[in-house]
Parts: sequence; C-alpha cells; structure tokens
Amino acid sequence: MAECDAEWELCKENIQPLRQGRSVSALHQALCQQQEGNHTALNQQKQAFESELRLYDGDDPLDVWVRYIKWTKQTYPQGGKESNLSVLLERAVTRFTADKKYHNDVRYVELWIEFAEGCSDPMDVYRYMQAQGIGTMQAALYIAWSEEYEKRGNIKMADGVFQDGVKCGAEPVEKLHAFHRALQARACRQMMSSITDQQRDDDEDDDGDEGAAEPQRASLAELKAKGKKKAVVPINRVKASVGYARGLQFKQPLGPRQNSRLVIFDENKASETEPQEPRFEIWTAPPTARAKENEQKPEKWTNVKMPLKSRSGLSVAVPPPKPSFQPFVEEDVQPPAVTPCKINPAVNSVLSSRKPCRPEQTPLKMLQERMQLQTQEDGKSREQSMYCRELLYSGASEFCFEELRAERYRQKHAHRLLSKPEQTHAN
Amino acid sequence: MSLFGTNTGFGSGGTGVFGNTTTDSHNPMKDVEVTSPPDDSISCLAFSPPTMPGNFLIGGSWANDVRCWEVQDNGQTVPKAQQMHTGPVLDVCWSDDGSKVFTASCDKTAKMWDLNSNQTIQIAQHEGPIRTIHWIKAPNYSCVMTGSWDKTLKFWDTRSPNPMMSLQMPERCYCADVVYPMAVVATAERGLIVYQLENQPSEFRRIESPLKHQHRCVAIFKDKQSKPTGFALGSIEGRVAIHYINPPNPAKDNFTFKCHRSNGTNTATPQDIYAVNAISFHPVHGTLATVGSDGRFSFWDKDARTKLKTSEQLDQPITACCFNNNGNIFAYASSYDWSKGHEYYNPQKKNYIFLRNAAEELKPRNKK
Repeated sequence: MAECDAEWELCKENIQPLRQGRSVSALHQALCQQQEGNHTALNQQKQAFESELRLYDGDDPLDVWVRYIKWTKQTYPQGGKESNLSVLLERAVTRFTADKKYHNDVRYVELWIEFAEGCSDPMDVYRYMQAQGIGTMQAALYIAWSEEYEKRGNIKMADGVFQDGVKCGAEPVEKLHAFHRALQARACRQMMSSITDQQRDDDEDDDGDEGAAEPQRASLAELKAKGKKKAVVPINRVKASVGYARGLQFKQPLGPRQNSRLVIFDENKASETEPQEPRFEIWTAPPTARAKENEQKPEKWTNVKMPLKSRSGLSVAVPPPKPSFQPFVEEDVQPPAVTPCKINPAVNSVLSSRKPCRPEQTPLKMLQERMQLQTQEDGKSREQSMYCRELLYSGASEFCFEELRAERYRQKHAHRLLSKPEQTHAN
Repeated sequence: MSLFGTNTGFGSGGTGVFGNTTTDSHNPMKDVEVTSPPDDSISCLAFSPPTMPGNFLIGGSWANDVRCWEVQDNGQTVPKAQQMHTGPVLDVCWSDDGSKVFTASCDKTAKMWDLNSNQTIQIAQHEGPIRTIHWIKAPNYSCVMTGSWDKTLKFWDTRSPNPMMSLQMPERCYCADVVYPMAVVATAERGLIVYQLENQPSEFRRIESPLKHQHRCVAIFKDKQSKPTGFALGSIEGRVAIHYINPPNPAKDNFTFKCHRSNGTNTATPQDIYAVNAISFHPVHGTLATVGSDGRFSFWDKDARTKLKTSEQLDQPITACCFNNNGNIFAYASSYDWSKGHEYYNPQKKNYIFLRNAAEELKPRNKK
C-alpha cells in the first residue's frame, strides 16, 4: 500500500475532481491498478458493463449507464481518452432523450449536467434541456446553469435562472433557495468589495500595496468634477480593473458594467447581452461535447481546399476579396514603400488567420444523424441497415453479432457455473 | 469432373427431410441438404484438403458441437463423427495433411481433433473466446494461429501448452485468413493488419480500412502464380472491399462493391442493407462467393468486376460457406446469425447446410 500512497502524491494534479468527492480506497485501487498495468481485470470489468448494457431487459436501463459511468470515473481518475468517459456521457445522454420518464430523473439530469460541463458551450446544452423539458423540475439544472452564468459574470441572468426554477417548482425547493441565497450573498459581497476596492484605488493611487482590500465603508458620494467641465465621472472608474487583478479573477466587478453601459431601452433593437428568453425552436438536437481534434472517425473534409503550391514551395493562400468601395487615395501620395522581404507579403501563409471553428456544424450534424437513425425517419434515409444497430454500438465500444450472442450464452449459463465448483472469470 | 449430375434426384431436398411443401423457402435453390445438421446456428464450415481422398465436411455450431460428414460422389452425405466443446464453436480448420481438425470455441480453448482415433486434446488457451483458428504450414515450422477477443494473436505448437508466440492486436479479432506466407486479421473498430509468416510470424503492415463499417469477414486471394496477393473484406453493411497488398496502381486496382442489398432499382423505398457473413474464393477459378444476412449467396468475378450470379432468398440468413478442394462443391449454411439480436432467435427453427455444384457457375466471365 505504501507505493500507492506515493502514487497518489505523484499524480494528484492529474486526478479530476469529482463533485461528490472521491472514495480514497477506490482511488488507491485505481492508481495501483494503473501502476501495475493490470489491464485484464479492468478490461473484463469494462466488458462486463458493455455486455450488461446490451443484454439488460429490465425496467430501468438508465441504471446500467449510471453505474458504468460511475465506475469509469472512479477507475480512471485522470479522465483521459482511454476512459471513454465523454463518449459514454454523450451516448447515455442521447440514448434517453426521447424517453419522457427519465426527463426529470435526478440521475439523468446529473448526467446531462456532467455532459454540459464537458462541452465547449454549456449554455447551449442547458437551453436545449429547458427546451426539451429535461430537468426542468430538478433544482440541479438551475443550480448548474446559474453557476455557469456566474462564471461568466452575468449575475443578473444567474439570478434569473433561479427565479425560473422557483417558478417551475423545481425540487428540492429548499436546495434551490439555499443556492439562490448564496448567489445573492456572493453578488452583494462582490459589489461591496469592488466598491471598496474602487475607493481604495482612488485614495491610494501610488500605493503599490498588493494586499487584500480591507473592508471599508463604501462611499456613495459622487466625485465632484473640478473646473468647468460638467462631465460626471462615474463612481467606478476603469481603475476597478486593478481590483479585477487582485482577487476577482474571472468575476468581473458589477459596478463598472452597471454604470458605464446604460441600457437604454430601444424597442426597435434586440437586447444586446444574453438573450433573455431561450430560443426554443432551433434546438432540434443537443450540441456535442468533444473537441473536434480528438475525433478519430474519418470525415469528409468539407470546405477545406488544399491551397496550390507556388513554385517557391510556399503555399499561396487565397487573398481576401477586395472591398467593394474604392478606398480614398490622395493624389500625390506615394504608394507605401514595401520593405524588402523575402516572403511575398501577399502570401499570408505564415500566420494565417485562425479559421473559425465550427463546433456547431460537424459535431451537431453527427449527433443529428445519430438522432435521425434512432428515430428511423423513413422518407429521408435512403438506406436502412437490417441489423440491430443499437445493440452493437450501445456502449463505448462496438460489439459484433457473435459477441452479443456469446454474452447472452454466457449469462444464461452463468448460474450453472456458479453452482458447480468450477473456475469462473478472474475478477 | 462434376460431382453431382444435373439430374440428381437429391436436388429436391436430399434424404431425411420431412414436410417438403412447394412453398417452403428454406431451400429455394433446391440444393442438396446435408443430413443431421447441427441443432443450432452454424458458425463455420471447412472442407478437407486435397491431400486426403474424398470430401469431408466439418461444421462448427452454437450448440457447442463440431460435426464431420463424408460427402460422397453421388451426393449423399454421411455423418461420421462429432466432438463437443464447453462453449459455442466459432471456427474450424484442417491441418494440411487432412488428419487433424482444429476447433476454436467461446470457452476460450482450441482443440485438436485426431480423426483417425476420434480423440481431442486441448492445444490452446486464451483469456477470451477464440474467434479464428488457422493452420500454418511453413517450410521451417508448422503451427496453429488463434485470434481471440482478448486482443491477442497466438501461435501454437500443438505439443506445448504455451504459445510459441503471442502478438498483441489493437482490438478484438473479428475475422482472419491465412494463405502462406500471408495472414490477414480484421479487428474491431475497423482495424486491419497484415502479417507475414516467413521464418516466423510478424506484423507486416497495418492498413487503413477501405470500409466504413464494422469488419465481418475476410478472405485472401491469390494471383495467377498462386501467390497470395490481396484479400476481400466484408462489412456489416452490404459491402465488400477488394484490396491488393502491393498493387501497381492502388487507386485503380483496389475497389469496393455493394452486395446483399434489397430493392436495388426501386428508389422509392429505402434500400435494405444486410451484413456480409462470409467470403470464400474458388480454389481454381479465383472467383468469389459471398453469403449474407439477407439469406442469399452471390458469386462474383473480381477481375471482370461483375456479378456472376445471385441466389434466391432463403428464409434464414446464410452464416457460413466454403468450397471443397477442387472447387466442385459449394457448401453454405442457413441459420440465424444474430443480426437482429435475441428477439428474432427461434430455437425451434431448423438449421441447414446445403451443397451445390460449383463447377460451372463460378467460371470467370472473360476467360483469358
């Protein structure tokens, strides 16, 4: 056990934190197993779960998924690709989207939240969930959602989410209220500390003291303008950004925002910040989690064209289209002297602008395709596979027909093996 | 040369078949039925090698048994012997001299069956079910190659309990074929590995799969000089890829073709796509046969890139096929392949093995 203790010390940065905490013994065991390379036992357990997923014919298939995912998280504390955790989450989540009975099952909702946290944009997922009615009766959804807003500094929306939750009657109510109160407390503290920081900055301009701001009385007096200028300087000036660096990392102070950007109601203009209402109609399929570069599946390179190589060997990027207007040029202006350089300045290949990644296109399309197959839309698909696709591709890895059948055979005869004093699988 | 004359009386169902009504679609091709077929799905078939006189057929099944029939010249099939495993049998093969049969099973063991003494002995052990078994006869060694779902490929000298060699694969072995000095293994997650067997087995090349769906069956073909030069790979979605190992022009020489699909010309209804369960090459003509989940078999000429024949539809999937050593007999098994899970499994349904005269129908389209 001693070396396992050391193991924990050595890789604790890599252990992904779990919301409910990790069981120390399970963690030790998982790390030991990985250290010893005890893959067969792990593989067997994984295989057992995979088979169970496919052969289960009870009332609660979600249970198998939940247990499998829980085991995966405990066994692969570092997360990572070989755990297939993100694949499993995605599959579990999409598998039951049509199943109304699970929509407000707390286990299912928690799977969705975990999935959302792994996505590039959890907001999309939460909005989708709300649109589909998944988790709308569960406090967990609103808590996670408002947390996300809070992370982005949008306290107002975070508050709004809690109010939505209360309105919908999400359970458990006390928990919802407790988190709501905590959010409000945080917001107040934030405002207070940002104001006091402001105060201190204004008073102690040259003070290089990096110590934490002590609570001071917030001054509510306006700064009087000196001289003839009547412009009113806002209370919270840009210096609040120092407070930003001091301790509130990603939480932007509320003050400057509220004062510098006066929201002028314009009935003709749509609201500029986060949309107040989630748009229900666009979410036909949930957005997906995985970053595209980790995908192993072969895909069509849709719109990328290989740039032609010029004779010098440099690839020539297509120059940006010329603007439609004629830029004004003074008559006697010389054309700017081009500094001599080896690389043709028109060739933009050295630092090409980052191509806008389209996370919503290909992964969403992929998921949509999968949803389509699941719902078996006849008119649209021209081909129909005459085999049990879900059974084969249910879990994280695929099965073939023989494996399915062998599993069923094994289960059927398992009770016979247990009764006889024969050797079963090494566990 | 041909074993069964066209006027054979056994065409309408052979011996020992009852309830043979005209609407019975279990044998629409009116081929010879093998007597005493196994009681459960047939997973594999193998004919005896040319070193042995006569034709002996071995069939392994999900009823845990391996059966041996003698196929006589007049078309009669005589059950000869049977052996059991403790789990379903997934693959069988013959030794090159025809005296031994090797059987691989879900019980994680492989056995060697001496036909003369009718004794079996275990020769291999894996940590998972053994999916494929092949006999390798090299000038300087002979061994049995087993591919398993435990992601290893092991080579066994039948006299020792430990493998001569064990090679790790990226995924579970789904199908394999051996024609010395080449071996091809197709694994889960569309893996494809070629091994060379000269001197000792070693990995030769990993190939990116020419198919987009799960690999199901593979068969090596030979060139005009009888050297293995490529393989045919079948997938779970009605497609077979013909792949040469070192073609002069890969883009042109390698190709895939669709097969085992329904509603070919009718574009209004969606096309049903079935799995390709097995591929076999004719030992003389080099043409190939594919059998599928749709209950049909088809013959193809890969050089002329044409289809030679497609059978009528049987009422069950065809799960296995093989040619005898001189290519006169084509054997195919009609049983449930589990393509739709256990709901569609009917244990009462009879399983069949049919024998067909293959001398004429597999002649290549353009004889050179």
